[in-house]
Amino acid sequence: MAAVSPARANTLLLGVMSFGLLLLMAASVRGGVAGAAVAGAAGTASAPIVSAERSITRILLNVIHFFRDIDADERENVKLRREVARLGAELARAGERGQENARLRRLLGMREDLVPRSVGGSVVTSRLAGQSRVILVDRGGSDGVRPDMAVVAWGGAVGRVVSVERDFARVRLLTDPNSGAAGVIVRSRVEGMAVGRGGDPMEMLYVPKYADVVVGDRVVTSGLDGVFPRGFGLGRVTVVGAPVGASKTIRLEPEVDDRSIEDVLILLEPAGTRLLAPEEPESAP
Amino acid sequence: MIVLWALLGIGLALGTSLGLGSIAPWLTSYVDLTMLPLVVYALRTSQRSSMIVGCATGLLQDYWIEPRLFGIDALVKTILGWALGGLGARFDLNTFWGRFAAGASVHLLDEGLQAALRRLFGETLAPVAVSTLAVRALAGGLLTAAVLVILSRTGSARSAARPKHRKA
Repeated sequence: MAAVSPARANTLLLGVMSFGLLLLMAASVRGGVAGAAVAGAAGTASAPIVSAERSITRILLNVIHFFRDIDADERENVKLRREVARLGAELARAGERGQENARLRRLLGMREDLVPRSVGGSVVTSRLAGQSRVILVDRGGSDGVRPDMAVVAWGGAVGRVVSVERDFARVRLLTDPNSGAAGVIVRSRVEGMAVGRGGDPMEMLYVPKYADVVVGDRVVTSGLDGVFPRGFGLGRVTVVGAPVGASKTIRLEPEVDDRSIEDVLILLEPAGTRLLAPEEPESAP
Repeated sequence: MIVLWALLGIGLALGTSLGLGSIAPWLTSYVDLTMLPLVVYALRTSQRSSMIVGCATGLLQDYWIEPRLFGIDALVKTILGWALGGLGARFDLNTFWGRFAAGASVHLLDEGLQAALRRLFGETLAPVAVSTLAVRALAGGLLTAAVLVILSRTGSARSAARPKHRKA
């Protein structure tokens, strides 16, 4: 029997490996057992590496923050004192409005809770490639995190949990080309769907061509997608382009810069599922 | 011993890559440190070892940062390992420009193969920015050349004592 040349043997090996990996990808898309088993083995094998990496990264981040904060602390302190004074007055007014809002919502039969239960988490790592934008957070199934939960940060919506392990969760960012959130323009209440475009600015789809939209308008989540509650910032309109068919082309600058996310909040209840008790007595006017 | 070195290289590349994603996430748009073991094995050892190292690195990377298509990085890196290993066996790429070209091309081909496979599995693709691709190629090429120069210098004594025979 003729011996197979090394080059041909390697090509054959490539074919076998490619076929196996394609099957693995198909299994992972369909949620098959084989995909989960190989993923579990990969996770177990690399867990010590990631554990060591996290310890070293934490030390490095502490050092970086220490030097960065030394300069910024003094200026920040003065700024924060002013902000606290302003927010104190604002809070008192908001309290009044909140009570009024609760009364009006009950009158209108709106039962959605405004403050969903949540858990805070830190970003372990991230991948901001063109076709895939994902972060890994250090909260998982043991903390009550489940797929499809909304993830927000200081400033606005960040993304959606796509898969969960025991101690961490993978979050697909809103800038990922396969992500989207229902949004509404705050000024004109025009609704649309904000979708990611990789490294490019986000796009808002399905906005009628005669809708009132101008550059600088702020877009927040509308709550219609069933993932994000209402009111979390999505971005600001940077471009209002020529209409394509019946829709306008709108570009958004994301509210949260995904290149600098360090801590996030995972909302543990899907939007609109927490109900106020119907028998809850109204507060005295 | 060879397996231990490979495991050490893969572990180091994966750990550094994940750390980079935490300390400077913006850099992950331009540089994929997990490409380094693949290129090093393709240019310094054999085509087969570069395929296996690429596949193993990709599987570990997929587990941590691929939300849907587990195995996509493994497949892309296996193909790149085969292609670069084949070229490395035919041509002498162990010069600065050879290493630079190898690093730049794997970073570019990675982007193209990822896009094609994601399309195959029904994902939506983002438009590709030429400027990002150019920076990616430049950063990948320079990093690869730098790492290989460092490895050549640190391992030169060992190589001189035990000459290596390249396999196809």
